[in-house]
Amino acid sequence: MSSENQDWLSAASDNQPLGKAQLDSLLSSAELQHKLERYQTIGAVLRREAKSPLPDHFANDFATLLDAEPAYQLQSSAGLLTRIRAGLVQAANGRWLQPVAQGAVAAGVALMAVFGVQQYQQQAPDMLNPQPLLQTQPIAGFATPVSLSQTTVSDRFAEQEQQAMLEQQKRLQALLNAHRQQVRVMEQAQQAKHNSTDGPEQNEP
Amino acid sequence: MMRFSGVCSAIVIVMLSGAVSAEQAGWQLFDKVQHAVKHYNFDTSFVVLKGGKVDTYRWLHGKTAEQEIEHLIPLDTSGVDILRRDALVYYLLTERPAFVTRSASIPELPALLFEDKDIISRLYHAVAGSSSVMSGRNAQLLRLTAKQGGRYHYWLWLDAQTGFPLRIDTLSDNQHALERWLVTHMQISAELPENLRALMAAELPQPVDNPVQALPDSSHQLTWLPDGYQQVAEPASIPQLENSLLSYWLLSDGLHQVSVFVQNSQRLPTQAYRDGATTIYVQTNAQLEVTVIGPVSIETARQLAAAVR
Repeated sequence: MSSENQDWLSAASDNQPLGKAQLDSLLSSAELQHKLERYQTIGAVLRREAKSPLPDHFANDFATLLDAEPAYQLQSSAGLLTRIRAGLVQAANGRWLQPVAQGAVAAGVALMAVFGVQQYQQQAPDMLNPQPLLQTQPIAGFATPVSLSQTTVSDRFAEQEQQAMLEQQKRLQALLNAHRQQVRVMEQAQQAKHNSTDGPEQNEP
Repeated sequence: MMRFSGVCSAIVIVMLSGAVSAEQAGWQLFDKVQHAVKHYNFDTSFVVLKGGKVDTYRWLHGKTAEQEIEHLIPLDTSGVDILRRDALVYYLLTERPAFVTRSASIPELPALLFEDKDIISRLYHAVAGSSSVMSGRNAQLLRLTAKQGGRYHYWLWLDAQTGFPLRIDTLSDNQHALERWLVTHMQISAELPENLRALMAAELPQPVDNPVQALPDSSHQLTWLPDGYQQVAEPASIPQLENSLLSYWLLSDGLHQVSVFVQNSQRLPTQAYRDGATTIYVQTNAQLEVTVIGPVSIETARQLAAAVR
């Protein structure tokens, strides 16, 4: 019986499937379970696995450790609180009118716009992504005879045009950031105005 | 003859009363969605689709008897955490002091969820649409159709049970979707979300009420405004552009804002771009470059740019 047991237990430790009767006897016999564990350990050593399986009392130890753990907040909130405390000296409003501070908000909040604008020019049209309704007029809008020198001029011109478009995109991004900032402070600006005057007034151009 | 005209009048009256009750049902749905976002405790995630680009955010909101708090967290960009406690909005920058503004809502969230119904009903008809299933929940469509041309339409799908917005499409004049706001996860609870408890009690910087610096007097005139828009009196100055900006106007219809910038000409061609529902229109002539930015049609932006004298 012992040798029979050892055969199928040894096979089981090599990940061979167990029959129903074998599984029943394994589950009912603590001795067989210890034997299987020993086989697994031997196998692990032969396979040069760095560490033997977890000890028996691992689950109990772990449960005790979990009980002793304090309750944690989600990291985002905790990290945010730390950041708030670190920067609590005063609000940036006193300085937000400086381009640097304003740029920091813009960079974080309106970053999407840069990609949006670029994408708009590059991608194929579909329902959510229309093409520019007004196509760019070529700057090189003159006709010249085809010649070798013309190719060079045209290349240089294309390069200049590309450079100009990049500059333009940067400028548009700055304007888009300024627009978003105006929307952010609009209510505050209006409240300040209401406080400083008795009522709203129209600003004629 | 008399009988025939009587029947016609009855039909007209029935049709008119039907339209009125449909509009009433629409505005009731609108009240429901505004109530949900202002009064419920919730923890939700949403995406904003602009063309092929997707931005993901987490949005938490809580309300107690005394205080209201909400927190908007960009999940996939190096964006800024935005926190609102009652009427103060904090832009919590990394390694810099927070930037604080006074506002009853976070401007980065869809404004129509928070703006006064009286303002919106001046600009839009509200009509209840069909029901459908969205993300496994029963959704009710609410169509906000602009009363004047040139203003975008909105289609909202609300959770039938709670009224919480599940999706908002911004549509152009000719019913093309320009931008889609879509909830991907929603959890409404009786209790304040745990994450907000600590933020509710956290000490935050006080706003510095500096007098708002107004822009210098404009040397140009804007001779036309789109229907329903007014110039915002004395918009804040834009120091980073003060060397290049010749004139600036901020327009508002109560729900949308449009900026008009006038600068010296860069001699580039007239162009139009779109970032989701935001139009960017640049018109250039020999002397001036006029840039119009806002959620308006290209045609409206073109007319505005042409109205600068």
